[in-house]
Amino acid sequence: MAHIEIDAPGTTQLLLGNEAIARGALEAGIGFATAYPGTPSSEIMGTLAPIAKKMGIYAEWSINEMVAFEAASAASLSNIRALSSMKANGVNVIADFLVNLQMTGIRKGLVLVVCDDPGGMTSSNEQDTRPIAKWLNIPMLEPSTAQECKDMTKRAFELSEELGMVCMVRSVTYLSHTRGNVRFGRLPENKKVAHFDDFYNIDDPRQSRYTCGMQFHPYKQSEELLKRFAKAPEKCENSPFNSYRGPEIPELLIISSGICWTYAIEAVSILGLQDRVGILKLGTTWPLPEGLVARYLNKSDKVLCIEEIEPFVERSVMELAASLPPDQPRPTFYGKRSGHVRAWGEQNLNLAIQSIASVMDIPYTSRQSQDLEYRRAAQAVAQTLPARPLTFCPGCPHRASFWAIKIALQLDGRNGFVTGDIGCTAMGMISPGSFQVRTYYAMGGGVGVAGGFGHLGQFGFQQPVIAVCGDSTFFHASIPGLINGVWNQSNFTLAILDNSATAMTGFQPHPGTGITATGDPGKKVSIEALCRSLGIHVEICDPFDLNTTIATLLTMMRDEGPAQVVILRRECELVRERKEKRNPFRVYVNPERCIGESCGCNRLCTRVFSCPGLVWDRDAGKAVIDEAVCVGCGLCADVCPRGAIVKEAL
Amino acid sequence: MHGKASKELQKEVIDKGLCTLCGGCTGTCPYLVVYDGRIVRLHRCDMSEGQCYHYCPRTYMDMDAISRHIFGAPYGEGEIGSVREVFLARSTDQVIHQKAQDGGIVTTLLSVALAEGMIDGAVETKLDEEKNPHGFIARNREELLECAGVSYEPSPVIQAINRLPNETTEKLGFVGLPCHVACLSKMKLSPPTNRANIEHLEPVIGLFCGWTLSHSFHRFLQEHFDLAKAIKFDIPHHPEHSFDVYTPSGKESVDLDEISPYINKACGYCFDMTAEFADISVGSGRAMFKGWNTVILRTKVGAEILDIAKGRNAIEIQPIPDESLANLKRASLDKKKRALKNIISMTGGVDDLLYLGISQHLKEMLLE
Ligand SMILES: Cc1cc2nc3c(=O)[nH]c(=O)nc-3n(C[C@H](O)[C@H](O)[C@H](O)COP(=O)(O)OP(=O)(O)OC[C@H]3O[C@@H](n4cnc5c(N)ncnc54)[C@H](O)[C@@H]3O)c2cc1C
Ligand code: SF4
Ligand code: SF4
Repeated sequence: MAHIEIDAPGTTQLLLGNEAIARGALEAGIGFATAYPGTPSSEIMGTLAPIAKKMGIYAEWSINEMVAFEAASAASLSNIRALSSMKANGVNVIADFLVNLQMTGIRKGLVLVVCDDPGGMTSSNEQDTRPIAKWLNIPMLEPSTAQECKDMTKRAFELSEELGMVCMVRSVTYLSHTRGNVRFGRLPENKKVAHFDDFYNIDDPRQSRYTCGMQFHPYKQSEELLKRFAKAPEKCENSPFNSYRGPEIPELLIISSGICWTYAIEAVSILGLQDRVGILKLGTTWPLPEGLVARYLNKSDKVLCIEEIEPFVERSVMELAASLPPDQPRPTFYGKRSGHVRAWGEQNLNLAIQSIASVMDIPYTSRQSQDLEYRRAAQAVAQTLPARPLTFCPGCPHRASFWAIKIALQLDGRNGFVTGDIGCTAMGMISPGSFQVRTYYAMGGGVGVAGGFGHLGQFGFQQPVIAVCGDSTFFHASIPGLINGVWNQSNFTLAILDNSATAMTGFQPHPGTGITATGDPGKKVSIEALCRSLGIHVEICDPFDLNTTIATLLTMMRDEGPAQVVILRRECELVRERKEKRNPFRVYVNPERCIGESCGCNRLCTRVFSCPGLVWDRDAGKAVIDEAVCVGCGLCADVCPRGAIVKEAL
Repeated sequence: MHGKASKELQKEVIDKGLCTLCGGCTGTCPYLVVYDGRIVRLHRCDMSEGQCYHYCPRTYMDMDAISRHIFGAPYGEGEIGSVREVFLARSTDQVIHQKAQDGGIVTTLLSVALAEGMIDGAVETKLDEEKNPHGFIARNREELLECAGVSYEPSPVIQAINRLPNETTEKLGFVGLPCHVACLSKMKLSPPTNRANIEHLEPVIGLFCGWTLSHSFHRFLQEHFDLAKAIKFDIPHHPEHSFDVYTPSGKESVDLDEISPYINKACGYCFDMTAEFADISVGSGRAMFKGWNTVILRTKVGAEILDIAKGRNAIEIQPIPDESLANLKRASLDKKKRALKNIISMTGGVDDLLYLGISQHLKEMLLE
């Protein structure tokens, strides 16, 4: 891991975009950092937490984005610079607080870093958070390189203080997870004193500045907010993060920001259009540096916006064009709206080339489609890579849980189903989880939706509903849904798949683990005690004890009563393995007993159960254990109908 | 080659309400299980040829082929199948009488065979604590006695056969209802692979059967009786009209009309009242001969055991009066006609008789 904390101004380090963000925060002299894990944002806190103590920072993995951001605000209100980082979905979670925080403004620099996931490779969607900045009048910086990740984060703190409001920095997966050279700046002196100044003063009794809805007249604060924000365009106007490269009068003006800017630069150079095409880079995507943009709009009659997810810059520039003086000529706009830029998914160099070539009306065939040799070579390489279908890890307790859930639902026979939640348990919606998860939306959504299904009895609904969430998602947003279900007597079963880790995002601790972000002992929060305090029926099962788990689920489903909880508890195999450093069982297939594809088994283990530790030896017509993959959990021995899989305790 | 497996079993048998819950399709593979009075498919199996489909007594039964295999002759047109002898009999063993349903012939024949070393045990039906029937392998006299008496709910006995270890060399007898015997006869005709050898499973003792009661009847029983105390269930013959539950303190009854809604719909499509593919078929002596059994001897294997039992004075025998035999035949014929009628009303035509592979002539005869 990179040492982002070294005090070596002027030196250059190779950092991930997320590490550079963390470094930027250090250079800004933060005292407080909070986050909720979420790819692609997790490495920011992952980098800060281990060095937090040394750097005199308070660092926290919070149970959700809302409390994370609220806590960071408290630091800001007490004169401490604070950083809160999350993935795009997290901004939705904090939206209510964010809207209201804008009403009052802040005190010391408060920066919200959000990492969007264009293409949604590790997310439930590919939401763009930039429109939120616009909607709420929040200044937003959009870095294009690792260096800018650092520099902009630092600048965002200053901007936040200059404007008296939270400031956003938006990264994307590719940038967050790619290494680039970062030239370090100075680390500030470590002197921070926290004090909340707007406490009640007996000689000056008045409403605190930090309460929204001043005198219950929120519009007064709106006016204040707009005044504060009015200073933002001028700050952006002169920002060094905005720049232009290209001829004085370009045939085509490309406006781009973030990682897409790097694609645009390279695309123009590959197409050899440097003399004809100019590129305006926007680092301050909200508010727009209007004067700067207007000047360049005047120079070209074709404008192409290249960006990821929403046509955000594109629309903002068009709005701006609409307000230009009537005599100024209007350029033609190209981009997502015109179909010249793909409207969804991640952008890349090839797409940028295609977009530019099509607007410039020049023929371009990508190397892949042009060069047969190249294509062959690419295919040959692709074939040497082992196919790795998305699946649960070998030994994963969730495989056992979904196996049990599937069997219980089939046995129950009333077309019951699972409402799912975010995290590893989401794998339950595809084949490794036997497609058991039938609804899947948001953190806490599983139990919330189940609560609704559980009230449809009066309309003839008789299907049992099992809400599934992980332990981390339970703390994040499932507790209110559970309480609501209990209070309103909704009929569902909540299965908490407790693997004692936030495994999906890289094993960040959570309240159930009792360890804090900085590795200090916290207070361990017991899921079962919490659930039992609601006065409901709570059971704890080891999902590897398939029969008990199935029986428990069946009884719970049959019970007509209100919400109940079953905690399917078994430590994440990756955590166990790290701790114990050896396999619990030696597992092997006895070929004499294995009947493989014949009637009576039909490859249950490799065709249905599908743990990657089991492979099908086509020639022998038998299953075999792949010892390199098998972690010796022994679950398959209980699944094999022929007793062909043997587990021997080690 | 039928090219069919569990998916088709579901579609053609279970979904159509023909499943008798014999257990023929369960116990051998991980895909099908009996649960709560249903056959449940747990996972998707993509076999093109499934033994589950093949041996199910409600998929095609080539009656001639089976009959030839067991009796050396095609399926006949008599009312009660292939017959060597029909008579009345009862056990001379008072201990067995205490526990047995009617004349105790079933338990007695098995206990004699066991004592003679002809068998090592028998696949039977036993009731669990909640009085749910399930397949059980009785290997001594005590265990045979534990299985005596009947449950009127379907017992997936064949599952117990399917679960026998491949390498077993035990000689086992078998007791089952006509649908069980039908399933077993299909297995004997083309023995299964990857399972225990079932060819030596004999004698096959079949029970007469009018119908079974569905699983929801079990809930009825739980609501109306203290099942933990029940020691015997009985449906005495006409003119009585009740369902009786015996406990140590006596007999409790409900009117038979309360029971009839629970009759398994699948039994309405059943062609066989007397377990025609068994070695020996046993029913009650009806009202006229309470405490006796009606016995149909069908095969050589059956004859051997009967002879030994007679020789040991384990059973006593009397001829069956003509009137009783005529009644038995009429009842059996009625069941065949009813099944045919129901099958035709399900398929909508006389050309499709679902599972029933009988000759054109027999079909026409029964439809008259
Ligand atoms: C559901 C059902 C319906 C019947 N209908 C008729 C009928 O209509 N007319 C008639 O004459 N006889 C009928 N019988 C048969 C009769 O009840 C006696 O089982 C038979 O007369 C043998 O009596 P026994 O005294 O020799 O039996 P026992 O010596 O008491 O032995 C009883 C045997 O039945 C087996 N058994 C018990 N319950 C079941 C079950 N659910 N499925 C399969 N095997 C079981 C036991 O394992 C045991 O081997 C029926 C039996 C059952 C189970
Ligand atoms: S489940 Fe068992 S019998 Fe079936 S293929 Fe796997 S090892 Fe062989
Ligand atoms: S009748 Fe028997 S074999 Fe056929 S589906 Fe039912 S239980 Fe299975």
